[in-house]
Amino acid sequence: MKKNATLKVLVVEDEMGLAESIAAHLTKDGFITETVFNYESALEKISLYTYDCVVVDINLPDGIGFDIVETLKKIKASSGIIIISARHALEDKIKSLDIGSDDYLTKPFHLSELNARVKSLLRRRHFGGSNEISFQEIRVNYISRKVFVGETEVTLSKKEYDLLLYFMSNIEVALTKPAMAEHLWGDNIDSADSFDMLYSHIKNLRKKLTDKGSKDYIHSIYGIGYKFGKN
Amino acid sequence: MKLFDRTNFYYIVFSVIIYVLVGASFYLVVEHVIYQEVEQRLKVERRDFENFVRAHGVWDESCYFVENKIELASLTDTLAPVTEFKDTLLYNRYNNEYVPFREYSFVSPIGGAPYKVTIRKSLIESRTLLKSITGIMMAVLSLGLLVLFLFQRRIARRIWAPFYQTLSRAKSFDLNEGKGLTLTPEEIFEFNELNSVLNKVTDKIARDYTSLKEFTENASHEIQTPLALINSRVEELIQQKNFSDEQMRWIQDIYQSALRLSKLHQALLLLSKIEHGQFFEWETINLTTAMAEKLDEFEEIFTHKGITVQFTKTGVYQVKMHPVLADVLITNLLSNAVKHNHPQGVINIVGTDRALQVSNTGSTLTASPERLFERFKKQNQSSSSLGLGLAIVKKICDSYHLAIQYSFDKGMHTLTISSPVAGQ
Repeated sequence: MKKNATLKVLVVEDEMGLAESIAAHLTKDGFITETVFNYESALEKISLYTYDCVVVDINLPDGIGFDIVETLKKIKASSGIIIISARHALEDKIKSLDIGSDDYLTKPFHLSELNARVKSLLRRRHFGGSNEISFQEIRVNYISRKVFVGETEVTLSKKEYDLLLYFMSNIEVALTKPAMAEHLWGDNIDSADSFDMLYSHIKNLRKKLTDKGSKDYIHSIYGIGYKFGKN
Repeated sequence: MKLFDRTNFYYIVFSVIIYVLVGASFYLVVEHVIYQEVEQRLKVERRDFENFVRAHGVWDESCYFVENKIELASLTDTLAPVTEFKDTLLYNRYNNEYVPFREYSFVSPIGGAPYKVTIRKSLIESRTLLKSITGIMMAVLSLGLLVLFLFQRRIARRIWAPFYQTLSRAKSFDLNEGKGLTLTPEEIFEFNELNSVLNKVTDKIARDYTSLKEFTENASHEIQTPLALINSRVEELIQQKNFSDEQMRWIQDIYQSALRLSKLHQALLLLSKIEHGQFFEWETINLTTAMAEKLDEFEEIFTHKGITVQFTKTGVYQVKMHPVLADVLITNLLSNAVKHNHPQGVINIVGTDRALQVSNTGSTLTASPERLFERFKKQNQSSSSLGLGLAIVKKICDSYHLAIQYSFDKGMHTLTISSPVAGQ
């Protein structure tokens, strides 16, 4: 994912450890990440620079994240906006989307999930660019939702497609089973069942891809989950 | 019973008693006065009679026209007692009716022989007088009472007006507005007290409610943030490669516990939010449709576990509920039916127009059915489930006054949610 090198992300989060953690995770994936811990410096940053994506916490020590979103909209910034909040309230979610945020994540979230959301958001926003993401011989056209190994099309079920896209948004990242299950089914499902279902989806996905001549990039990590990558 | 009606009732009962008492005593007093007067005159006539007898030595009946006015009877037994005054009825030959008389009897010697003399006086005029006086008196009294009664009603209405105003304000008190009542001061001391007490109490309730709400929100924020940090740090740790298997297992344990803690926290927070009535808004939710939609979402897990689902719809069940809670309710019911089912089991759902029933196959309960809806009551204590699902279902039903029932029959556990029968 070399092209991420040109993409800039601003993380506005007052909990320094969490901000650092998010930044580290995104940087690892090739984004240029900047972190600010309060409302004032966030406003300063967005007035000076242009970001492709802004990740904003609602509760900041000196202000409310919503105001940052409104400022971004006022200056007509093209940044994609993801709100992160510890508040589970539906009103917050609705308000976030109403004032123009692109996505809403409730704390605590999995870093891999945030990563997938950021990428999906950037994919949706970069109309001019390619409609495809690829890894080695695997290509995914996210407009037509078609998957190719080399030139051969692979027919995937909806969940398998989601899973592959999630993997391709988190290359070389150890993904935990709870994070993957939550990505696929939300958090309303009993973990024992979802892990079983996850296992069978991964088995099918792996089989479908290797059947069309792809190498097996899905590695299981004992006790933890899976990792998608070359080694 | 309304306050007016109650005071009027007492007033009327009291007035009637007084009225009867006053009427009766008035009658008795006037009657007594009339008797006194009549007897006085009878005594005067006795003196006239005795003077006449003394002067003439004999009684001449003819000097009195009026029949039975004075009657003489020779007395043989002079020691027999003579009743002095008594009432009697005599026949009036002109009117053909009996007329009341007061008679005065005494013993008097006429011509050396003792006679019992009875002098009578008609009471008819006095009676008529007594009746008309009493009648007028009673009429005036009733008129007075009626006027007083109407006046009292008007006054009561005027005086209690601020009270009813306060009452209607208190009735429409909405906790969600976040402020207490602002009742205006009244002239009447008691109502003024009442208003200021109500102002103070509702103000306190509103403030407590707001701070409680803030507390839950803050608690949510303050606890979720460190949890988020733990989770993200652990996820970072997982990315490292140089851990031993044992260390990796520890990290895994920390990760899962932190996730569980966060889920537990969210569920408890939801429970307390429902308890504190923080889901004020409601919409009319079609639970039957909501169930059908949720079944689609669960499709995959049903297939995975080989569970056969049957959904029988005989009506549309609509409830007034917060949409989020409706979703939680249906999700928890279905999760519960899946969780406690055995592989290749069955789930039967029946939706009528006033109830929703979810039945599932599953092993017999180990705990008593009454404790089913308690928090942290789990069929299998070691299971990964939080043990809050049905507690939340119950709490939601309670807060919207829906009934929830559990029954077990022929290996099927059934949970029924129903609206109370109208009029209850």
